[in-house]
Amino acid sequence: MSKFQQIGFYRDPKKAGYQLLPFNFTRLAGQEYVLTNAVGESLVLPRDKLETFINRGLSKIHSEYDDLKSKHFLMDDDSSVALDLLALKTRTKLQFLKNFTSLHIFVVSLRCEHSCHYCQVSRQSDDRLAFDMSEESARRAVDLVFRSPSPAIKIEFQGGEPLLNFERIRQIVAWAKERNLAEQRNLQFVIATNLALITDEHLEFCKEHSILLSTSLDGPEDLHNKNRPRPGRDSHQRVVAGIRRARAALGHDRVSALMTTTQASLPRVREIIDEYVRQEIDGIFLRPLSPYGFAVKTKAISAYNRDAWFNFYKEGLAQIIEINRKGKRFVEFYSTVILTKMLTPFTPGYVDLVSPAGIGIGALVYNYDGDVYASDEGRMLAEMGDKKFRLGNLLTDSYEDIIYSETLLDALEESFAASAPMCSECAFEPFCGADPVYHYATQKDFVGKKPLSDFCNRHMAMCRHLIALMREDPEVKDIFLSWVQ
Amino acid sequence: MGTEGVPGLPPIAREVLVSSTVYSLDTVKKAAYRFIDRASADISVNEGDIVCKFSFVRGTSESAADAAVQDFRAELLDQDLRQKVALETAPIRNAILALAFSASKPPERE
Amino acid sequence: MLTLSGRGTIGLPSGKDHGRAVVRVVVTDDEVRAPTDARLVRSDPIPPGYAYYMAHPRDAALLDGAPSGAARLVLPDKFDYLAHGDVLCIWTDSGNVRTLHRRASRHNSFLVTERCNSYCLMCSQPPRNVDDDWIIDEILEALPLLDPATPEIGFTGGEPTLLGERFIGVLRECKRLLPSASVHVLSNGRKFADPKLARAWAEVDHPDLMVGIPIYSDISDRHDYVVQADGAFDETIRGILNLKRARQRVEIRVVIHKQTYTGLPRLAEFLARNLLFVDHVALMGLEIMGFTRANLDLLWIDPLEYQRELKQAVRTLAGYNMNVSIYNHQLCLLDRDLWPYAVQSISDWKNEYIPECAQCSVRERCGGFFSSAQYRRSTNIKAFTTDIPASAFVR
Repeated sequence: MSKFQQIGFYRDPKKAGYQLLPFNFTRLAGQEYVLTNAVGESLVLPRDKLETFINRGLSKIHSEYDDLKSKHFLMDDDSSVALDLLALKTRTKLQFLKNFTSLHIFVVSLRCEHSCHYCQVSRQSDDRLAFDMSEESARRAVDLVFRSPSPAIKIEFQGGEPLLNFERIRQIVAWAKERNLAEQRNLQFVIATNLALITDEHLEFCKEHSILLSTSLDGPEDLHNKNRPRPGRDSHQRVVAGIRRARAALGHDRVSALMTTTQASLPRVREIIDEYVRQEIDGIFLRPLSPYGFAVKTKAISAYNRDAWFNFYKEGLAQIIEINRKGKRFVEFYSTVILTKMLTPFTPGYVDLVSPAGIGIGALVYNYDGDVYASDEGRMLAEMGDKKFRLGNLLTDSYEDIIYSETLLDALEESFAASAPMCSECAFEPFCGADPVYHYATQKDFVGKKPLSDFCNRHMAMCRHLIALMREDPEVKDIFLSWVQ
Repeated sequence: MGTEGVPGLPPIAREVLVSSTVYSLDTVKKAAYRFIDRASADISVNEGDIVCKFSFVRGTSESAADAAVQDFRAELLDQDLRQKVALETAPIRNAILALAFSASKPPERE
Repeated sequence: MLTLSGRGTIGLPSGKDHGRAVVRVVVTDDEVRAPTDARLVRSDPIPPGYAYYMAHPRDAALLDGAPSGAARLVLPDKFDYLAHGDVLCIWTDSGNVRTLHRRASRHNSFLVTERCNSYCLMCSQPPRNVDDDWIIDEILEALPLLDPATPEIGFTGGEPTLLGERFIGVLRECKRLLPSASVHVLSNGRKFADPKLARAWAEVDHPDLMVGIPIYSDISDRHDYVVQADGAFDETIRGILNLKRARQRVEIRVVIHKQTYTGLPRLAEFLARNLLFVDHVALMGLEIMGFTRANLDLLWIDPLEYQRELKQAVRTLAGYNMNVSIYNHQLCLLDRDLWPYAVQSISDWKNEYIPECAQCSVRERCGGFFSSAQYRRSTNIKAFTTDIPASAFVR
């Protein structure tokens, strides 16, 4: 019988020596620090252990050693395959860059019969010429869509109320599908509509072309109607009826809803979630207060809003977790963006929280007047008077002019988080993103000073909160894992 | 971000001396940067010391200013560690990126 | 446990000792009689035209009626299971017989070599450093004799990839002769660290081929300790990456014992984070055969004692939508939450039940034991006395 070696032969606890692999660390709370690396692995250590680790004082007798090795924070003589695995994971995280631009927003009309308080853009008007997208613009925009290399393309109709220019939607769908016969992309259409004016004709068309509907539901009736006035003050009634009709015609999962958060929403998160559950919607995006319009101009209320929103979010998330514990799947989509980065090797397709920024790369917006914007936020900024993120015009500029525009490239480069002050050394950077439009709007530069940034503050708080929840309760981690699949 | 105090009262300020043999100027600047929502920092060098003059925003109490100085000193320690990590891991970060973008195909599930 | 090899009594026509003969067992006569057909006779009259005639010891007298030009073999004891379509190897000098393939079994495995470049603490087929290149020849003779409708074939060892290009040749023959058979190869994966081998494997372009590769820990030195080979972890991981770059199907196998159970949850996280693209993860119970017996003190742990770690690992892997199964565990030793993942996986030739199991209400769904369990098994085996609904096995 041949000899077997003891474990000491392979693993000598006294043999010191390891090298650090790249990572960032940030204080979580008290003396606890979270370590993360660029591929999203994370570990919590007390500060003294962190320092020992960095000073290469840890050895195999420490319980943290194997955790650090397994998650690729250190590498020792015994194994070098960490490099192969880190390289592979890096590649997976960055794969989204290859497939740019996947979201194309067509603002087919600014006209709308609602006059929502937070809307930056819509016009209560019958002037089609002034506020509808022309046929020529639409045609050119479709050409630009297919200049994107992305194998998956989502065309989203927005407004105003896009159904008010239904004929243009018909045309764009037809042109895109015809073009796609040759292109063979995975082509999907969405109409963002208030559902108040939806007809059977609209629904038939959506069914024929497998178009998804996305609507606005801000909460229970009084809150929703207060936020979203229309003639007859019946927005809520109409959207609920519209959801029912649309589901009956298209299928339950073909209709989704988004909320807009206002001051009035902040104390009422439970009721808002209850409303979503009542309407049989299986998830909600707990949106932050919009920084555009009134809020941008008044920094004074910022601190209050910041805390009030975070409490709104925490309370809402807690309620949602309880719903899941009781066996019903209900997803919080904002957390899911961050959790996807924390728990999986993939980068989610959410344009507003990614680095390099999602402007241009993730989305392009074709406005009713032919102007092309790098993102929806860029369009909203223009409505407030600043056309910084206007990349060009469909009638005068080529695809190359637009996608290689200096503004776009500068904004992408300067806001790149891995090289931005504070971001480059922040443990939450892999879970966060760059938002040059927001920082430009609030601080007049693409990067912004992050200590002054609500964007930064909010995301650091959310990351800390999600990490704490998962550490306290493995069942919560399982629930979160089910959301990111 | 204005640091003017209420008319008649001087703004709350603190001066922190940091040894330049222990900490690099970069480390001090990075640490101070994190506090710009609370105070503006004027950094200069005087013989063997790096001098940080913090002028706190209007409404900061004395105790809050003291707490901020404590935080700043803790942040200096963290920044120092970060610098160490960054220096040590720079070569291997490049190696990983080079490997990540080499020509070979990525593995896939069938 | 079935007896797969033994010594029979051979009678040859003069001058006909040709060493090794791979033959197909025939029980019912077709029109065509191949030279590799061996007629198993159980009654008179004896049909003519075969090169080989065989009988069980109780029927030995029947062979007197066999044609004079044919070889006659009295089979060893305990070969009553032989059936039409099985494949045997007969050593014509000694009368040694080995069953290579049983048509009705779902657990046929060809041992490709006894040589191995690892030396696992719990190896159920301890390596021998022998020149056994002849085994591949035997396999190549056996493959054409298999029923074309054979659903599954396994290859194991030792380490099949030590045979390099010759083993790739066997896979090509499988594809050619048995195109509808699913092929499963057990390998430590280390040789695939050379991308050329992974590419050669891929070039076979087999329609249904999977390689099962063990990883025993997320920590290199712990894995290397279990497989008793320095550097094995790195080679295995690189091998898996190369196979996946070549778009080949890979299963990860983890044998759970005292040296691997504590690290199981973190290994599951490691697999989910680094090898998410593997096609299957098999979490396996210990087989008390071969080296396991010598290392029992190091390895033995009652499965009931690691249910917490096992559940955590399965929760992680399933949570990431990876395909995961539990092999070789008795249901009474598995947490109920894990029953939907338990597969009846013990090869029928090794499978047994103990008296306690006779009255168990889930016996039909349970994998039972390895025969080798007689050497060591849990003292917590207990029959279920109440009816268990089918839903207990649904995920």
